[in-house]
Amino acid sequence: MLLIRKGFPLLLVLALLSGCATRSLFVPYPNQATAWQSGIGSPQPAATEKLQKAAQSNDGVLYQQELGRVSQLDGERQQSQDAFAAAIDHYQQTDEAARIRASSLVADTSSLIVNDNARPYTAPDYERIFTRAYQALNYWAANDVTGTAVELRAAGEEQRNAARKRDREIAKAEKDADDNQVDLSQYQGYFEGLDAAAGSVKASFQNAWTFYLSALFWEAHGEYNDALVDYKKALEIHPDADFIKEDVQRVSAALNGRLHKDGMVAVIYEQGFVPPRQELSLPIPTVHGVFSVAFPTYSLQNKPRPDSLRVLDSNRQPLGETRVLADVGALAAKNLKEQLPGMLVRQTLRATAKYNAQKKANDDFGALGAFFTQVYNLVSEQADLRSWLTLPAYAQATRFFLPQGQHSLVLSTPGGSATLNVPVVDHGLTVIHVVAVQGHLITRVLPVQEGPL
Amino acid sequence: MIRVLSMMMLGAALVLSGCSTVDYGDAQARETVTTDFGSTDLQMIAAKMVDDMLVFPPIVQMTQNRRPVLFVDRVKNKTTEHIDTESITDTIQSKLINSGKFRFVDMSVVDRVRQQLDYQSESGMVDPSTAAQMGRQIGAEFMLYGNLSSIVKRDGSTKDVYYKFTLKLLNIQSGIIEWTSEKEIRKTRKKSLFGL
Repeated sequence: MLLIRKGFPLLLVLALLSGCATRSLFVPYPNQATAWQSGIGSPQPAATEKLQKAAQSNDGVLYQQELGRVSQLDGERQQSQDAFAAAIDHYQQTDEAARIRASSLVADTSSLIVNDNARPYTAPDYERIFTRAYQALNYWAANDVTGTAVELRAAGEEQRNAARKRDREIAKAEKDADDNQVDLSQYQGYFEGLDAAAGSVKASFQNAWTFYLSALFWEAHGEYNDALVDYKKALEIHPDADFIKEDVQRVSAALNGRLHKDGMVAVIYEQGFVPPRQELSLPIPTVHGVFSVAFPTYSLQNKPRPDSLRVLDSNRQPLGETRVLADVGALAAKNLKEQLPGMLVRQTLRATAKYNAQKKANDDFGALGAFFTQVYNLVSEQADLRSWLTLPAYAQATRFFLPQGQHSLVLSTPGGSATLNVPVVDHGLTVIHVVAVQGHLITRVLPVQEGPL
Repeated sequence: MIRVLSMMMLGAALVLSGCSTVDYGDAQARETVTTDFGSTDLQMIAAKMVDDMLVFPPIVQMTQNRRPVLFVDRVKNKTTEHIDTESITDTIQSKLINSGKFRFVDMSVVDRVRQQLDYQSESGMVDPSTAAQMGRQIGAEFMLYGNLSSIVKRDGSTKDVYYKFTLKLLNIQSGIIEWTSEKEIRKTRKKSLFGL
């Protein structure tokens, strides 16, 4: 009986470790993600299968997001649409889940003795907004106008909801820190890289790119009121973007019945992959002394530089140049910064729990037990590096006007160029979706949008 | 001790292996699984629209001696959900036809009807005396169309969804809206405190 009681914690740990519920417990997530990042742009059945299998795990929503994005870029539209729909279902379940859940209590407890990766992944707001925007592009590519409109409206709603709940959540996390007597200011010095990576972003969910995309769509369908609102929201986030100022003026004029005649061509350009989180060793003071724990962070060195895409006509005359509307690396860093207080509280509790385990092992199990506990504590100390890694580093856009007809356009980026034949319709909108990854461009021309919704 | 343990294991195994069941339910029963647009919303909207229309005095008068011909344009989905609005208009159409006061032409099958007419008149396979003739269809007098919009608010543990369905009947020749009606639906969901 004594043996059972002594062995119980070990058994529990074994049971937790052998469960494949959470894959990121001991393999850092960024290492897993290279499997599907490397072959992006053409069908990759092996990686897809891996993602589909992982989508059944506790972190399912993360893998569904990756699967949706990877299949979209691989040209598997239906698969992408299904994966994003599953991710969206998951968001709804999270939103409507009970406030105190038995399963999350279990996850929290196991995260106390293992690491934060034991907690099921919940998608942060900036990822939810991208999911909606990409799902809109899926419907757009299928020329399902109503479906596109639904998803773009939902993307806007996600942003509004995020704004509403953000202040309250940050206040709550800081209160928790107070209650657990964790002094947040003492860690300030360790997260300077994170502050630098977050840059000038004011809130983790403010995504001018998705606002701009939906504004373009509304304008093409004559919904000038909705277009004006979304152009203004994008301008609010990037007050110095001159072309958005022109957009606001043009749509205001359209509201008064003065329509712009030519057709609009917009280029939405996604550059690279968002940088992954990095591990940082953070000394956490506990009642028993300082304990070193692994903590996720972002650094500025890891971040690629933004480069723009220039559009030229067939005579090599410049038509437009894209501009960064969403710095996704900064959104991710800002999001992590907003989560810091809660994570620090958990880390402090975990450091204490692990210290206690070590002490108990020293006292009860002799040298061998103490040794294994120490190894376990070291190996299990993994920072939570999970985040949607096939998102772009920068989401950019530009737009220009061309007369009706077929036009041959040259897209030029530092990572390569492409020539496209693009249809333009008076009062219509032609969107060119360009993604630059792994040193090549993935391009597609979405169906022209025109006429009332 | 071991016996107690094995009994507990057996009990747990029985509970976990409980088979799933399939059952028929009442199609008209109130459905409150989520706040999303559901069957009860559809039924409430269709019932309200048809009731409103059939008791509206000018329409009562108009349908006293004849059965006007209508066509359903479409109901615009302006919500943040993927809703099959054709299913709503189908229900409304069925109810109106079954009231015996209206007749409908269906614009969604025009192409297939034309194919059949071509076959009857041109293939040489159909007895000309029974072949349906081109150009003898009846033109619709009125058009039914509308909007479905929603406002969704979420705040911590509460989600509030407001739907507004608007349906209009337009006289195609005069351009006058002869009738219009609205149905509002509000649904609120509160998160439960405990759950799995």
